[in-house]
Amino acid sequence: MKQIDAVDLGIMWDRLIAITDEILLSIVRTAFSVGVREAWDLACVVFDAQGRSIAQATLSMPAFIGTAPLTMQHMLKKFPAHTWQDGDVVVTNDPWLGTGHTPDICIARPAFKNGTLVGFVMNISHLPDIGGVGLSVMNTEVYQEGLMLPVCKLYEAGEPVQYLHDLIAGNVRTPEQVFGDIMADISGCMVGERLIGEFMDEYGLGDLAALADSIIGQSEAAIRKEISAIPDGVYRNEIEVETVTDAVTLTCAVTVNGDSVDIDFAGTGPTAAYAINVPLCYTRAWATYTIKTLTTPTIPNNVGALLPVAVTAPSGCILNAQRPAPTGGRHSIGWFIVPLIMGALAEVMPDRVQADSGMASLFICHTSPSGGEAGSTQYFLAGGVGGMNGLDGQHTTPSPTNNAVVASEVWENETGVRINYRRLLPDSGGPGAFRGGLGQIASMTNTREDTVAIFMFGMRTEFPARGSLGGKPGSTRVFEVDGKPVPPKGRLELKPGETFTIAEAGGGGYGDPMRRNPARVLDDVRNGAVTVAGAARDYGVTVDLDQGTATRV
Amino acid sequence: MSYRVGIDIGGTFTDFALLSENDGRLYIHKQLTTPGDPARSVLTGVPRLLDRAAIAPSEVSAVVHGTTLVTNAVIERRGAKTAMLVTEGFGDVLDIARERRYDMYDLTITYPAPLVPRGLRYEIKERIGPDGTVLVALSEGAINEALTDLVGRGIGAVAVCFLNSPVNPIHEQTVARIAAEKFPQLFVSTSTEVFPFLREYERWTTATMNAYTGPLFDQYLRRLEDGLREAGLIGDLFIMSSSGGTVAPDVARRFPVRMLESGPAAGVLQTAALGRQLKRPNLLSFDMGGTTAKGALVRNDLPLKRYEMEVARVHEFRAGSGLPARIPVIDLIEIGSGGGSIAAVDARGTIAVGPHSAGAVPGPACYGQGGEDPTLTDANLTLGYLDAAFFLGGEMSLDAAAAARAIDSKLGTPLGIETLRAAWGVHESVNEDIARAFRNHASERGFDYRACAMVAFGGSGPAHACRVARKLRVPTVIFPVGAGVMSAVGLLASPLSFETFHAERLDLDALDQDGFARRFAALIDEAIAFLGRKPEPDETTVIRRRIDMRYRGQGYEVEVDLPDGAALSDLRDLFTTAYERIFTKSFPGEALEITNWKAEVSLVRSTADATYHLEVPPGKDRIKGHRPAFFPEHGTLRTAPVYDRYALSTGDTFDGPALVEEKESTCVIGVGDRVTVDDAGNIIVSVAGGAS
Repeated sequence: MKQIDAVDLGIMWDRLIAITDEILLSIVRTAFSVGVREAWDLACVVFDAQGRSIAQATLSMPAFIGTAPLTMQHMLKKFPAHTWQDGDVVVTNDPWLGTGHTPDICIARPAFKNGTLVGFVMNISHLPDIGGVGLSVMNTEVYQEGLMLPVCKLYEAGEPVQYLHDLIAGNVRTPEQVFGDIMADISGCMVGERLIGEFMDEYGLGDLAALADSIIGQSEAAIRKEISAIPDGVYRNEIEVETVTDAVTLTCAVTVNGDSVDIDFAGTGPTAAYAINVPLCYTRAWATYTIKTLTTPTIPNNVGALLPVAVTAPSGCILNAQRPAPTGGRHSIGWFIVPLIMGALAEVMPDRVQADSGMASLFICHTSPSGGEAGSTQYFLAGGVGGMNGLDGQHTTPSPTNNAVVASEVWENETGVRINYRRLLPDSGGPGAFRGGLGQIASMTNTREDTVAIFMFGMRTEFPARGSLGGKPGSTRVFEVDGKPVPPKGRLELKPGETFTIAEAGGGGYGDPMRRNPARVLDDVRNGAVTVAGAARDYGVTVDLDQGTATRV
Repeated sequence: MSYRVGIDIGGTFTDFALLSENDGRLYIHKQLTTPGDPARSVLTGVPRLLDRAAIAPSEVSAVVHGTTLVTNAVIERRGAKTAMLVTEGFGDVLDIARERRYDMYDLTITYPAPLVPRGLRYEIKERIGPDGTVLVALSEGAINEALTDLVGRGIGAVAVCFLNSPVNPIHEQTVARIAAEKFPQLFVSTSTEVFPFLREYERWTTATMNAYTGPLFDQYLRRLEDGLREAGLIGDLFIMSSSGGTVAPDVARRFPVRMLESGPAAGVLQTAALGRQLKRPNLLSFDMGGTTAKGALVRNDLPLKRYEMEVARVHEFRAGSGLPARIPVIDLIEIGSGGGSIAAVDARGTIAVGPHSAGAVPGPACYGQGGEDPTLTDANLTLGYLDAAFFLGGEMSLDAAAAARAIDSKLGTPLGIETLRAAWGVHESVNEDIARAFRNHASERGFDYRACAMVAFGGSGPAHACRVARKLRVPTVIFPVGAGVMSAVGLLASPLSFETFHAERLDLDALDQDGFARRFAALIDEAIAFLGRKPEPDETTVIRRRIDMRYRGQGYEVEVDLPDGAALSDLRDLFTTAYERIFTKSFPGEALEITNWKAEVSLVRSTADATYHLEVPPGKDRIKGHRPAFFPEHGTLRTAPVYDRYALSTGDTFDGPALVEEKESTCVIGVGDRVTVDDAGNIIVSVAGGAS
């Protein structure tokens, strides 16, 4: 075909993304998994015939930007490209080959056009169940975390591999729903094949190779250009993160060398005895996400964004956990990779980085049968986001990922547990020239006649979200029952009449709080973000609300 | 003689349509909107329209009005100073908001500020339990105190937002009663009367929006009513709502939030009406104007609906970046481009169009008002799709050289490509955006667009539709009569209608036919009361009942449409069918529950779907000239015939490439496309490469 110019490239590139978007939406519409429907815990990626990722659905979970290209390579290693037949479906949920934990299944299907392999479509989604004990940080081995499928064929040339279907059905709790979601993923792959074919017809393409070269080349060039603008050097950072009973240190050295970045996590603490360990693929995912967000947030995702970034971590550290370490809650450690790298680059990218965020709490609440049936309801509360140059952090917003929020009215209706109040927590945002976002405080009373079991995994109870470039930390997360502190991790029994209170962590501040404009401090006091005492203590500003004045002393 | 007048106020233009109900004659008029005082363009335009048709104001039986006033008041924050009475402990719900990011890569995302500032939220001691039990009684003294205080602070509007009020609205109603007795001048909205579904953040935001826009909308309607009466229009005034039905002014006053998006809704309604005339039950509706494009899907003769939308988005086309409004609304597709959208080179070195728009000032470069950024209109002019001398029928002339200069300096030179190529890049990437928006929307709703026809209208829609249809493999494009003022025409067809709601979670097994019928009867009675009158002899009462159901314990609901006469015993089967359409499977024997109940009553006029014919001076020659235009199959400018739409007649047929001009827009007919003109004067295009 002729040389691809900017006009064709833009249009064809956008079409490929549109194809992945259409596939993704068709899966969301039909999926049973609450994670998929409510929290968009899925991804759709299109590859060329060599297995290079060239387009990813806009609403895909960002972590999968880094994992999918590697998963495809693992699949091609086991089944070389020329052996794939029309109608083959290859799957895996191996945490070390896929996305880092067993509930996510990666499903790939080849796309043929006139009998020629032109690419692959991969869909990744969080299944309603995968057997085993279920997701609990208390698991001690990956074997408790359900059925593990190596890279294997679920269909061969359109025919189901029956024993594998039977094996999966025999190992999960809700086989109908699990296969419903697997079928949704496979149908999505088939939709993708049709759309790719129509697209190639429209533009007279015989294959996707030249287009892939341009997309990847252009993306890689754009990110390399941005990386070149960062001064060369080695930038380090270290943060402490809670495990269940103690803490672990995450360490990184970010080496910027010309137009490439090398991120090494040497010095990071060891694998934990709980299911919060991170396989390297997932570490790489958040590391590349961070670099991409700092350099080229608007460029669509493809393998080009990964090429300039090398990620290494010593084997056996918590960011390169080895089998059989349990990994179900790998995200609770993995999310910290983002502030870890941003902190390292703060000095040289002061206008791009964000101070650390308070992150979020997720509880799973089990109610036992009392006339009705047993229920399991997720509850989610967000802390504050870190400030950045020119922008205060958002209140009560998750970062770096998303979750499904539950309205108080829905919660009360489903659990019988009453919410007493939910308020913003004044002074919880880290002071700074640009303040961290506020956390919140929520209080709930068990108004049922029986005990409710709450499973929780609260981070930032010891280590707050740190400030950036002179900004101060946000408040820490606090859990109490009837006014007395309780452990933030594990199982909590809330007896009838007891009140559970959660104070969500604030985001870190950015820049010296003494540089914050007193007028903004006054606004903060008016809006309940900062108290009069906090204004004096944290910002050196005397606020008189009656007079409407704020003066720095 | 009986005449109806439709008036649609848009961002740039106000459109007028006048229909003679006896013989289907249609007169149209378009003039600039007067943003500072929108009623003025209405009151000056109506006499001109009546003059054109040579009829007396007293002959007009009804004026139907659509407006973006409510939306704009929220976007521009021009509403009333509004307070909120809220359950103690929940005053921060508006700030805590949705706890959700709408962009995972952009660290600089922000959200719109709540409409009620924190200092005007009065926390009230009261509490209703999830089952409706009063847990903490409301103190009338506390309400008096709060209302006295806020009135003393000069507040004119208040939203009453209590937790679990949809299950038991007694406390909200008590506040409304006290306010009506003691402070009749206050505009009061309770969250349950505005939209009584669970989920406090969305419901309360909707209630605050209703209160915030209430006083302003009331004032506007009063000015409009007075002005129309002074002009001698003594017929009824109706206001178009977002759901595709109209309401009387007093209902509109009470629920201004239901009038968001009323103009675009009318265009979709007209698409559906056209579909019924042409026996095409499944359609894509495509409306592209100066600043935005909007689409919608019509399935089995009816526009798809939903019960949520967003207003005042921080990122224009990013879902989740605006304020949610829970109202019945036509399910519109937001497409990020219009004629004024600006094209630029993006971070990856390709052409991107929008979301920024050059607006009316400075406008596209070709308007010659100092705009230097290339816009879609500049590209369409450069490609020969528009005639520099016949824009808006020659009322405005365009500067082709300025357009080419802007494209060249901002796109062609930086990308190393020719002007024409860059212009095509702008045009085609917009087509691609539109096609993507339709695909995604259809995909989310399980709607197969490939067998549908697309109805295209608005100032810019006809220039893009055939190419977009080709991308979607949609076989047919229809350019209706009066395409340039389609929304105003749609107003004429819209029925008087109101939808009511009831939230009550019930096990299907625990319900008997009596209880089922009783709940709907109450909703239907309530809706009829809002209509305010009985059906006229030429109107039919249409009742649509819908119910949200789910498997017990499942977190998401499926809407079930109840056919006429459907009884409780039919619910399981109806649910199963609806569920299978989405999930392709169902779970027989699983327990079912109902969560929400909805009833919509419409008075449909017998003339609603009648055809009409446009009264314009006829054109002389079918082909009024030729000009060079770009078609991708040729790769360069080549002379194409320009047809005069007003000279075309039933049965005319010709092939693309061709341009068909009417006053308000130009239809671009691609290579291989075939045009025929139907009995009613609609242009029907059979698209090359469409699915058969």
